[in-house]
Amino acid sequence: MKKTFARALSKKQIMSTDGMVMGTIKNITFDLHTGQVIDLVVKPDQNFETAGYAVEAERMFVPFEAVRDIKDYIVVDRYLSKK
Amino acid sequence: MKTQITDLFGMHVYTDKAVLVGEIEDVVVDVDGKKIDSLAVSNINPELMDLKGFRGLRIPYRIIIAIGDIVIIRHLTGAFGRMKQE
Repeated sequence: MKKTFARALSKKQIMSTDGMVMGTIKNITFDLHTGQVIDLVVKPDQNFETAGYAVEAERMFVPFEAVRDIKDYIVVDRYLSKK
Repeated sequence: MKTQITDLFGMHVYTDKAVLVGEIEDVVVDVDGKKIDSLAVSNINPELMDLKGFRGLRIPYRIIIAIGDIVIIRHLTGAFGRMKQE
């Protein structure tokens, strides 16, 4: 089971499975009752096309479901990450 | 209810017997299980326990009762051995 500290994730870049840098992580949303992690809150990269993603006032929400792995980058599935 | 992880940082943690435990320093995320694993709590109340050089405690998410303006966890008599029990 892979565990990581939330502060260790800050400023990490999000990369989709097709090798595109999507942006940097800003926050993580979760459910208070169950502790289930819901979304990654991402600041999209300047060159990144956000069409098809859940965007709200310069913040992009990527479902945690889409996360494949977290090491140097946070790798997310390119299909699951769209809304 | 949906909350952001950074909102937890700095929150005070109390037990259900109204004893201060400490302050949330960090949150441990279980990446495979897609859930919050535990809260890393620092500034531990010295009355509660002697940390013997460690910086803080990890509070498992399952012993959390409620999160609001503060965090309330279950009072574990065995874990908080130094508290005087009545």
